Amino acid sequence: MSHDVPVCKIMMNNARSEPGHVFEALGVTKRFGGVVAVDNVDLRLKTGEVLAVVGDNGAGKSTLIKAITGALSRDEGQLYFDGQAVQIDSPTAAKSAGIETVYQDLALVNELTVTKNIFLGREIVRDDFLGRVFGFLDFRRMDNEVRALFGKLNIRITDIYREAEAFSGGQRQAVALSKTVMFGKRVAILDEPTAALGVRESQMAMDLVTSLKDHGLSVIMITHNMQHVLHYCDRVMVLRLGRHIATRNVSEVDGDSLVALITGANEPQAAQA
Amino acid sequence: MNEQVEQGVPPESQRLSRDALMHQVRQIGQVFLALVAIYAVFYALSEPFRNVNTLFTIMTQASILAILACGTTVVLISGGLDLSVGSIFAVVGVVVGIMLINFELPVWLAIVIGLATGAFCGFLNGMVQVFSGVPAFIVTLGGLTAYKGIAELLGSGQDLSRFPDSFRMLGTGFVMPISIMFASALIIGIFLRMTRLGNHAYAIGGNEEVARLSGVAVARSRVIYYTIGGFMAATAAIVEVSKLNFAQSSRGQSYELFAIAAVVIGGTSLFGGRGGVGKTIIGMMIMQTIIVGLAYLGVGTSVQRIAIGVIIILAVFLDMRNRPKR
Ligand SMILES: Nc1ncnc2c1ncn2[C@@H]1O[C@H](COP(=O)(O)OP(=O)(O)OP(=O)(O)O)[C@@H](O)[C@H]1O
Ligand SMILES: [Mg+2]
Repeated sequence: MSHDVPVCKIMMNNARSEPGHVFEALGVTKRFGGVVAVDNVDLRLKTGEVLAVVGDNGAGKSTLIKAITGALSRDEGQLYFDGQAVQIDSPTAAKSAGIETVYQDLALVNELTVTKNIFLGREIVRDDFLGRVFGFLDFRRMDNEVRALFGKLNIRITDIYREAEAFSGGQRQAVALSKTVMFGKRVAILDEPTAALGVRESQMAMDLVTSLKDHGLSVIMITHNMQHVLHYCDRVMVLRLGRHIATRNVSEVDGDSLVALITGANEPQAAQA
Repeated sequence: MNEQVEQGVPPESQRLSRDALMHQVRQIGQVFLALVAIYAVFYALSEPFRNVNTLFTIMTQASILAILACGTTVVLISGGLDLSVGSIFAVVGVVVGIMLINFELPVWLAIVIGLATGAFCGFLNGMVQVFSGVPAFIVTLGGLTAYKGIAELLGSGQDLSRFPDSFRMLGTGFVMPISIMFASALIIGIFLRMTRLGNHAYAIGGNEEVARLSGVAVARSRVIYYTIGGFMAATAAIVEVSKLNFAQSSRGQSYELFAIAAVVIGGTSLFGGRGGVGKTIIGMMIMQTIIVGLAYLGVGTSVQRIAIGVIIILAVFLDMRNRPKR
């Protein structure tokens, strides 16, 4: 597995920012001790597209996302916004750069209400002495903004005062996705937004993903659902064992060829890509 | 509310949100009912319980530990643990005694120095944890013995007693201790419910990683929660020193355990993320009612301890059973 890594590295490190992309992460490497979870991956997100990231369990998808959003420290890799090199080394830095991320299994705090979850880390404080000095929160304003947002997105969650744990998987995902609409300025990154959802709830979640695009966001979406890739995404990027195998226009692939790329069925050909 | 908001929300929402609010009220109501029931049992069994003074005696006895437990509540909600507050209590008592007796400082200045000492001890607990990564249990277990040692070094061979009247006012009788208890609960309660930092305690205790990924300053917040814990221990110590009219390094022993017990009996989760300071006050009242009630019935302190132990386990058992699974 590792014999051709050095060659690969030299080749890939020359990756340069290209025009037409809102966000690029080039030469990203993340190691956990001896394990190279993400190996010299180049990710390029075109303005206004939905980019799927696919790969088997353990391929390094989540790790890649975490490494480019400041959730994990990178070993290597340079990030670009609109072709400009940017420094993103914390979740807060990613957010202020305009990236909103829904992490796999780490989207909501069960104990907090819907409103508090959506505004977590970005609470609105009261516009008076108590707010400015002691950080008193403006709950009324936050509640109203959440209601307005849910109305706009057609999210049928009625009780925003209830703790997140009281909701179904689909509702929780809707809350998490709505957060990206509320705060996302440029890029939304979604790690398996339909994982563990039923058919109808998946549909709901994917409609939300589509509406992200309508709200002017470019989207990176990790998924195991090839149907979703073919239906909702513009391009697809394939990872295998931490390596970037290929990126294709969705119009050029079908379910079978994607599976072949993911599993490495056409190994010799795929390895050159 | 504007029209857009009305449209987005079906009519049943109003009812549902009231349900969520009622859920909170019901939770604290349950603990309060438990207190009333326990009180009623002793009322029936023991003559002195029928005197209203007994209620005030219980509240006064509960007050010092309850003040300390307000800080413990914040730390536990944030998913932390501070076993050293009993020793911080001892340090502050001795420090205030020295300031008043040896240095003859004005009362207000002695109090300020005492509070600052407690807050600093708590701050140190937080800093050591955050920067060493050593678990809270170990760091504050170390703090428990270390602060105890400091209290002994400072207080050894000294007679720290007979304080000025203006200082004695704080802990004498029942009006002041009970008022300070309620004031502490009110301030900490407002902090937890209404402020950004207070809300972050629930977030960090609920899921530290999600909080971090959401941009919450986890480490900094934690240090502040431990500082509050130390500050409340100091407040409690000052009230007790004033009440006893002497300061000794042996005071405060096991107070951290009684505080944790009260917090848990009140229904704040030992696992972080939920709870409140009102529940803690009721929890402390339950504990004191049982202690005083059993004493009136002629039951010895050993059996009292057994009873409290059983109640703590029962409280955690109920907490775990009521928790929705996810
Ligand atoms: N914190 C960690 N410490 C050590 N190894 C890790 C850590 N996180 C991930 N890994 C390893 O990195 C590799 C990639 O994991 P990752 O979670 O990124 O996969 P994934 O593609 O998201 O898989 P899935 O589809 O199951 O979510 C795996 O081998 C995993 O064991
Ligand atoms: Mg994953």
